Amino acid sequence: MLRFVLREAGRTGLGLAGAVLLAAAITALAAPDAGSGIWHFLVAWGRALDAFAHFDFGHSSMTGASARDELADRLPLTLGLVLEGFAVALIVGVPVGFLFGAGPARRAAAPLVQILSAAPIFCAGLALAFVAANLLHWPVPRGTGIAAGLMLIPKDARGLETLLLPVLTVGLSGAAATQLALRRAGGESARQPWRTQLRRMGLAVWEIETVYGVPQIFAGLLNELGEVMLALFSAAAVAEWVFNYAGAADLFVKSVALHDWAIVSPILLAFAALTMIADFVGRCAAYPLVATGAKP
Amino acid sequence: MTIAVTTRAPSASLHALLRIAGWIGLGLIAVAVSLSDFLANAPANATGIGPLLAPPSADLRFGTDILGRDMLSETLHALSATARSALPATVVTLIAGALFGFVAARLPRTLALGVRGFVGILASLPGLLLAVLVIGLSTRDWAAVAAGLSAAPFTFVRAFDRARLEERSTHSEYARATGISASTLLRRDLVYEFSDTILSSAARALAAVTLILSTVSFLGFGAVPPHRDLGLMIAAAKPYFLHAWWTAAFPAAALTLLILFARLAAGLDEGERA
Repeated sequence: MLRFVLREAGRTGLGLAGAVLLAAAITALAAPDAGSGIWHFLVAWGRALDAFAHFDFGHSSMTGASARDELADRLPLTLGLVLEGFAVALIVGVPVGFLFGAGPARRAAAPLVQILSAAPIFCAGLALAFVAANLLHWPVPRGTGIAAGLMLIPKDARGLETLLLPVLTVGLSGAAATQLALRRAGGESARQPWRTQLRRMGLAVWEIETVYGVPQIFAGLLNELGEVMLALFSAAAVAEWVFNYAGAADLFVKSVALHDWAIVSPILLAFAALTMIADFVGRCAAYPLVATGAKP
Repeated sequence: MTIAVTTRAPSASLHALLRIAGWIGLGLIAVAVSLSDFLANAPANATGIGPLLAPPSADLRFGTDILGRDMLSETLHALSATARSALPATVVTLIAGALFGFVAARLPRTLALGVRGFVGILASLPGLLLAVLVIGLSTRDWAAVAAGLSAAPFTFVRAFDRARLEERSTHSEYARATGISASTLLRRDLVYEFSDTILSSAARALAAVTLILSTVSFLGFGAVPPHRDLGLMIAAAKPYFLHAWWTAAFPAAALTLLILFARLAAGLDEGERA
C-alpha cells in the first residue's frame, strides 16, 4: 500500500510541477517584453516561476488586484458548486449505474441516457432554466450572480431555488461520468473468474456480491474520480456562464477575453491541481478496496 | 438478481445497429449541410422574413427570432457553419491526438513518458478551458484549430496507452526477435491501427470538437457575426428564450442530433467522454 501511495504521489507531484511550469509560462506572457524574443520570454518565465514559488501570481492588468486575492474570492464559489454538483452526481449516478446496468432497464434507459450525454452542457442548463421558469415558476439567475444573493448554503426556499439550477446542471454532467464508471466496474467485476470459484466454495451469491463485488465496483468509481471531477469542472465553467454565477471559471473566461494572463494562469493551475489531486485521492482510496475485495 | 448480472454489457448486434444508425444520421446531416443553401427558405442572416419572435406556424415552421429571421433557414445555415468548422478540427484532433499519440509511444522510453506526462497535464484540464485559452492566445479565426488541439490531449492519451499495450504484444515481440526494425513495425502497426479504427476515431473526434466548438461560440470565442454557428445562435437567444423557446430549442436540437449521431457512429457508451 505504502509503495503504491508513494508511486502515485510521485506521479501526481510530477504532474503538479508540470502544471506550475505551464501556468508560469502563461503568466510570463503578461510580462511587458515577453514578446520581444525567446530569451526575453525565458527570462519572464523564470521570474514567473520564482514568483510562483512565493505564491505571488502577479496582478490583474485590468483591475490591478492581486491574482491571489481574486482566486481566493472566486475559487470557493466554484469549489462549492463542484462539491454540491458532486453530491447530485452521486445521488443520481449511483442508482442509475446500478439499476440501469443491463437487462430491460438498460435497454429502456439507453436511448435517453445517450441523448442526454449528447446534449451540450449549455443546452442542458438552458433547458433546466426554461423548465424552472415556466413550469415551476422558480427565479432564474440572469445577470445577477453574487450580487443577487446567490449563495452556496441557501438560507431560505428562494435561495435554494436559485442555487439548484447551476448545481443540477453541474451534477447531471457528473452523474453521466459516475454511472459510466459504475457500469464499467460492474461489468469488469462480472467477468472475474473468482465468482465461480467462490460459488464452488459454498458462498451465497449475496455474500459474494456484498463482500467482494460491491467493493470492486466502488473501487472502479474511485479510480475514475479524476474523470468525474474533470466532468464537474467542465460543467461548472459552462454553468457559471449560463447562470451568471461569479465563480473562478467565469473569471477565467472573462480574463482570457481581456488577455489578463496574470488571472488566467492561477485559475488554470488550480483546476489542473484539483483534478490531479482528486485522481490521486481516488486511486489511493480504491487500492485497499481492490486489494481486499477483488482479490480473494 | 445479482449486481454482476445487472452490469452486463448490451449485445454486440445492438452496438452494430446503433453505429449504423449513427453513420446514417451523419450522412443525412452531411446532405442537409451540402444542400443548406438550397433547402433554406432565406439566405443567411436575412432579416424581416416574418414578424419578430413569431412562434412556429404552417408558414414559418421553426418561427422567427428577434430580428424576424426565419429560424428554419438560420438553423440550416448555422448547422452548415458548425459542421464546416468541425471537419478541420476533427482532422487536427486525429493528427495531433491519435497519430501523434501512437507515434509518441514508440519513442525512446524516457522521452515517450515525458511527452505522455506533459500531454497528461493538458488532459487534466477541461477541454473547453483549453480551447478558450488557445483562442485567447491566437484569434477567433483559429477556433477550429483550437477546438481540435484542445480535444487532442485526451485522444493522445488513449492512443498512447493503446500503442504501449500493442508494443508489448506477442506479435511485436516476435517481430523484434526476427530482426524487423522499429520503424517497419511502427508503419505496420499504424496501418493496422488506422484501418481498424479510423472511422470510429474520426466520429469520436467529431463529437468532441463539435461540443467544444459550439460551447466556445456560446461563450463568445468562436464564430464571429454575421457568420453564425449553432452555439452563437443559442447564445443570441439567451436573453429571450424563456418566453420564445423556439429561438433556442431548434438550434439546440440540431446540435444535439449532430453530436448524438457522431457518438453513435463512434460506438461510444452512454455517458462516455467523446
